[in-house]
Amino acid sequence: MEYLKSALSSIKQNKGRSFLTMLGIIIGIASVIVILSIGNGMKSYVNSSLDDMTNGAVTIEINQKKTDRYLTPQNLTTIEEAISEIYGVSTSFSTYGEIHLKEDHIVNLLGGMPVMERELSDGIYKGHFYKKDDVDAARAVGIMDQSSAIMIFGTDDVIDKSVEISFGGRSIEITIIGVAKSDEEALANARKARQSGETAYYYHSIYVPYTLVTQKLGLNDERITSYKIYTHPGTADEAALRAKSVTENLLNLRGEGAVSIQSFASMAGMYNNILNVVTLVVALIAAISLVVGGIGVMNIMTVTVTERTREIGIRKSLGARTSYILLQFLTESAVITLIGGSIGMLMGFIFTKIAEQFMSFPPVISPMNVLLVVAISTADGLFFGIYPARRAAKLDPIEALRQE
Amino acid sequence: MPVLVDVQDICKIYNPGENEVRALDHVSLSIDKGEFVAIIGQSGSGKSTLMNMLGCLDTPTSGKYYLNGVDVSHMTDDEQSDVRNREIGFIFQGFNLIQSLTAIENVELPLMYRGVAKKTRMELSKAALENVGLGHRMDHKPNELSGGQQQRVAIARAIAQAPPILLADEPTGNLDSGSSKEIINTIKKLHGEGRTVILITHDPGIAKQAKRIITISDGKIASDEINPDYIP
Ligand SMILES: Nc1ncnc2c1ncn2[C@@H]1O[C@H](COP(=O)(O)OP(=O)(O)O)[C@@H](O)[C@H]1O
Ligand SMILES: [Mg+2]
Repeated sequence: MEYLKSALSSIKQNKGRSFLTMLGIIIGIASVIVILSIGNGMKSYVNSSLDDMTNGAVTIEINQKKTDRYLTPQNLTTIEEAISEIYGVSTSFSTYGEIHLKEDHIVNLLGGMPVMERELSDGIYKGHFYKKDDVDAARAVGIMDQSSAIMIFGTDDVIDKSVEISFGGRSIEITIIGVAKSDEEALANARKARQSGETAYYYHSIYVPYTLVTQKLGLNDERITSYKIYTHPGTADEAALRAKSVTENLLNLRGEGAVSIQSFASMAGMYNNILNVVTLVVALIAAISLVVGGIGVMNIMTVTVTERTREIGIRKSLGARTSYILLQFLTESAVITLIGGSIGMLMGFIFTKIAEQFMSFPPVISPMNVLLVVAISTADGLFFGIYPARRAAKLDPIEALRQE
Repeated sequence: MPVLVDVQDICKIYNPGENEVRALDHVSLSIDKGEFVAIIGQSGSGKSTLMNMLGCLDTPTSGKYYLNGVDVSHMTDDEQSDVRNREIGFIFQGFNLIQSLTAIENVELPLMYRGVAKKTRMELSKAALENVGLGHRMDHKPNELSGGQQQRVAIARAIAQAPPILLADEPTGNLDSGSSKEIINTIKKLHGEGRTVILITHDPGIAKQAKRIITISDGKIASDEINPDYIP
C-alpha cells in the first residue's frame, strides 16, 4: 500500500517524463488489442456463418475440364458405405422453374436424396421430408420453406396442396408434403412482401427426389459430377478426404487432381491459419514493443534512482531495509508499465469501436486478452525494473547522504 | 546508570596502504543512559566518521562497538538498518527531509519501517510534532517551512519512535543564530525529558551547552571532561 502510494506520487511528480516512458508500451498494447479483437471477431464470424450455411455438408466435385468420367447412383451407394462416420450422401441436381399463380414466382428445384433433410437448419414445421420409396418411385412431391409458402400461397397451411411448375415449354404438378420452419425475421419479411405484392424478387427452393428431376423431367441424365456428403460436427475435413479418395479410386482418377472438395469448413480452416499467422506477427510486435518499452522504463528508473540517491540515503538511515527500497522502486516501474498497458488497452478499445463502424462483423474483446495485457505489462515493469531497483537498494547510506 | 554506548579501541582506516587515512585511531569511549555529550573537534578531525560509527551507518576497521549491550560492529546491512531504526534518532546538519512528503509523512517514516500500524503511526507522529511546537504545520511540505522549522520536523522524526539515543551532527550548522538557539533549546528540553543526547559540533559555544565535552583531534580523543559551565 505504502509502496503504491509512493510510486503514484513519484510518477505524478514527473508526469511528462513518465508518459513519454509509457508511450512505447501504450502503442504496443493498443495495436495488439485492436488486431487481436478484430482477429477474434473475424474468426468467430467466419466460423459461425460457415456453420450456419452448411450444417456440415461438403460438396465433392469432379472437374469436367479435366475428365469426362462421372459417377452413377450406384457409385454413391458404394461411397456412402465406404465412409462410416457420416449421415449420408446425396446427389444435388437442381433446376429453375416458375410458378404462375396470382403472381409469378421463380423456384429452384433441388433434386436430392432423403438425407438432404439435414440442410434444413430449423427442421420440418409441418408434414415430412420425402422418403426413399418416393425417390425410387420418382414421386412428384416436394418440401418448401414456411416463408416461401406464405409468399406463394398466402398461408403456411399448404400440406397436400398441388402446384404447377413450368420449365420452358413443359410443366409438372408437384404435391407439397412438408413445410420447413423459417425464422421470425424471414416470416416477417414474407408477410410484408405478400401484402405489398413484391414477392417477385424472391426465389424459392423446393426439395424434391432427384429421380423426379432426372427421370420425369428428363432435364438431366443420371451423370453425377458432383454430390454432397453430410458429416457429423467436427469430422467434415476427414470425411471429405475419405470421400475424395474413394471417388478417385472408383473412377480411376488417382493423382489427376480432377476431384476437388468444396468444403466451407476447409475454407474456414484456411482463414484460421491465416489468422494464426497474423496473431503470431502481432505477438512479435507486442514482444518488441514490450522490450523497447521495458528498456525505456529501465532507463528512466535508473535516472530516477540517481536523482533520488539522497532520499534513498535518508530512508536507509531511518532504518529502511534493502528489500523495502527494492520493492519501492520495483513497484514504481511496474506501476508505470501497468498504467501504460491500461492506457494502451483503453486506446485499443476505442480504436476497435471505431473499426467496428467500418466492418461487417463485430470485433470480439476477450476477457482473457485483457487479463493477459495486465499480467504482461506488470511483468514487463518488474523485469526491467530489477536492475535500477537493485542499484538503489545496494546504495551505501553514507555515500548516498553525501550526495547533493 | 547503565552503559548505552561502549566503544572499545576502534580504528577506521580509509585507503589502506601507502596514503592511508586514519580517520579514527584507537578510540575508546563509553556513554551512559541519560547523558548529554558534545563531541567537538576541528574540521577533518574525524567527528563525522565517529558519528557514522555511533549511528551504525558504518563499521569499524578494527575494535568493538557495543550498543545497549549488543555487539554491532560486524553486522549485515539489514541488521544495521534494524539497529538504526530501533536505537537511534538522527538529526543532520542538512535536515535530510524528503521533499515530496509532508512534515507528518516524514515523521512517520521510521515508524513505518518498524511496521507500526497507520493509526498508531499518525498518533505518535502528531505527538512528536506537537512536542517540537509544529502541531500547526503537519501537512506542510519542507519547502513551505523555514530552516528552523525544517530542523524541528527532523527532530520530531528522530524522537517519534522514542529511540534511546539522539545523535545530532552539526544540527545548527545551516541555521541563523536565532533558529540555532531554538534548536539547542529543543534538544536540551528533550534531554530534560530523559533522552540520551550526543551532539557533534565544531562550535565551542554550542558544545558548552552539554554536560560532558569530548574533544577529538586527528582521530584520537584529546580530552573527555565534565563541563564546568553546564547550566541545566
Ligand atoms: N570516505 C572517505 N574516504 C577517504 N577519506 C575519508 C573519507 N571520509 C573521511 N575521510 C577522511 O577522514 C578524516 C576525517 O573526516 P571526517 O570524519 O569527515 O571529519 P570531520 O567530520 O571532523 O570534518 C578526514 O581526513 C577525511 O578526509
Ligand atoms: Mg564532518
